[in-house]
Amino acid sequence: MGENILELQNLSAWYSEGKDVLSGFSLQLRPHEVVGLIGLNGAGKTTFLKTLSGLHEGFRCDSIRLNGRPASFRDKGFKLSRYTVFAEDNSFQYFTFREYLSYAAAAYKKELPDADRLVRGFHFEDYTGTLLKDLSTGNKKKAFLITAFALKPELLLLDEPVNGLDFQSTEYLYRLIAGYKDHGTVLFSSHILESITLTAGRVLVLEDGKVRRSFEGSQISAENIREALHDENEL
Amino acid sequence: MKMSFEVTAKKLFGVKYERLARALFLELVVFWGLHTAGLQVQIAPAILYLMSGSFSAGVMWQALSSEDSRENLQNAFMLPFAGHSLILSYVTALGTYTLLTKTAGLLAVVWALGRWSWAEILGSVLCALAAIVIVFCLYPLRLGRTDAYAFYVRPEARRRTVKVHRRCSVWRYLFRYLMSHKNYLVNTAVMWGVACVLPVLFGQMEARFALPVGFAILSLNTPICILLSCDPALEQAVRFLPGQREAFCVPYCLFLFGCNLAADIVFLCSWQIQLGGICQLHALTAAAFALLSAAGSVLLEWYCPIRGWKIESDLWHHPRKYVVPAVMLLMAGAVSIFVG
Repeated sequence: MGENILELQNLSAWYSEGKDVLSGFSLQLRPHEVVGLIGLNGAGKTTFLKTLSGLHEGFRCDSIRLNGRPASFRDKGFKLSRYTVFAEDNSFQYFTFREYLSYAAAAYKKELPDADRLVRGFHFEDYTGTLLKDLSTGNKKKAFLITAFALKPELLLLDEPVNGLDFQSTEYLYRLIAGYKDHGTVLFSSHILESITLTAGRVLVLEDGKVRRSFEGSQISAENIREALHDENEL
Repeated sequence: MKMSFEVTAKKLFGVKYERLARALFLELVVFWGLHTAGLQVQIAPAILYLMSGSFSAGVMWQALSSEDSRENLQNAFMLPFAGHSLILSYVTALGTYTLLTKTAGLLAVVWALGRWSWAEILGSVLCALAAIVIVFCLYPLRLGRTDAYAFYVRPEARRRTVKVHRRCSVWRYLFRYLMSHKNYLVNTAVMWGVACVLPVLFGQMEARFALPVGFAILSLNTPICILLSCDPALEQAVRFLPGQREAFCVPYCLFLFGCNLAADIVFLCSWQIQLGGICQLHALTAAAFALLSAAGSVLLEWYCPIRGWKIESDLWHHPRKYVVPAVMLLMAGAVSIFVG
């Protein structure tokens, strides 16, 4: 096994000083793995993904290492290595999907990727020429998911990727997430147990702003995770 | 009704109405500051009434049309409230907000600059109130209906398939943005109108002084200069994607430059037609002012976006919008002294 793709030591994040949402949060992400992040509402999953995406101002971290080298969430190098699909995204509303894909590919200094297979997989063929603002919530989500999987970043971050998707697209997304190991690492948050058990090779249970428990390989089962979340709820 | 009024009012004024207190205090400071400075500008009472009424009507219409306000109503309409009392409290809150935080700001300046009788002061307040009530009555009629839901109805969702471009262009994006927002277009058209009449207003002033001042005034095209502030999702995206200083900010700056330059060209053409004497140097000065004001606007948007606004109207009347024109006015002064 090579070095970790991402290592975080003792990350704290807050919205108002003195009230940490994340505290003492440490994490190692290995290359080519699928990691699920689960926790109750308010556990800090979205805050964590926004911090990783360089969008959250209130944080400190003792050490951030990307592929073994010190990094910052707002470094261009760090940005080039990751792409995030947010739980809700209403950006670039006056681009069509094709235009957004081209824009994002240029931002990541990549050739315009061929997304036709993904477009078909998500049944998105009829919407590629529609402005993003005119798409439904689910179709908007598909546009950003297709972009993410087409760009194939080294680290793919997904915040509640299943929300808003129809049944067929959800199944297709599970296959994509599970198969992403061939390209890189996926870290995704979800409240849907099935999405975690079907795709993740490692599950992190987030509680009180830090990773309290983790499950790997054969330990990953709906029962174990449910039990961990139940314990968390009782605390 | 009191409860539904408070829901909207607390959103607009803050939970403890602290934003209202802050706004009133600032207005008082502006009034006393200008009053004690002894500046005097003679304005006819009719102009005062017109200014107060039209400004209040514009702000109120903008507040009612704001996407944000409509979203607030969604949950309220789901609850079993009587539609008419809900709307009355909602509009009362918006009207109070318009009157106390926007119109009062304008009136504080105008009242401080002139000598007014109590009747004229009362008249200007009544004009503002009347304008707000008229907008309340007219607003639902735009849909040809008068029920409470006319305040909630969202613009008809149209799934538009636009001309297929496989390659992106920020310019195309911004152009579509401008075309989709009628108020932005109106504002740009108004700036062009101002550009046409400025030579008349400047009258006999020398071109070397008046032209740079005109260029500075014409950089006050509020909506397109606050693109990132008024679209937090877009701001998040440009901060999240790599290389956006070049990929987004540069075309955005050039777009603003184009818009500013268009207004400046209208101003120069109008000046040439009415007064003559425009030369190449004036065109170059216009280009320089347009570029500098565009760069200033983009820098402010990138490093100092306006956050924490409640409705779009807050953005349109935020003091930050005057920063770039004020800097450009100072520069206009410097240029006229330097050239002179």
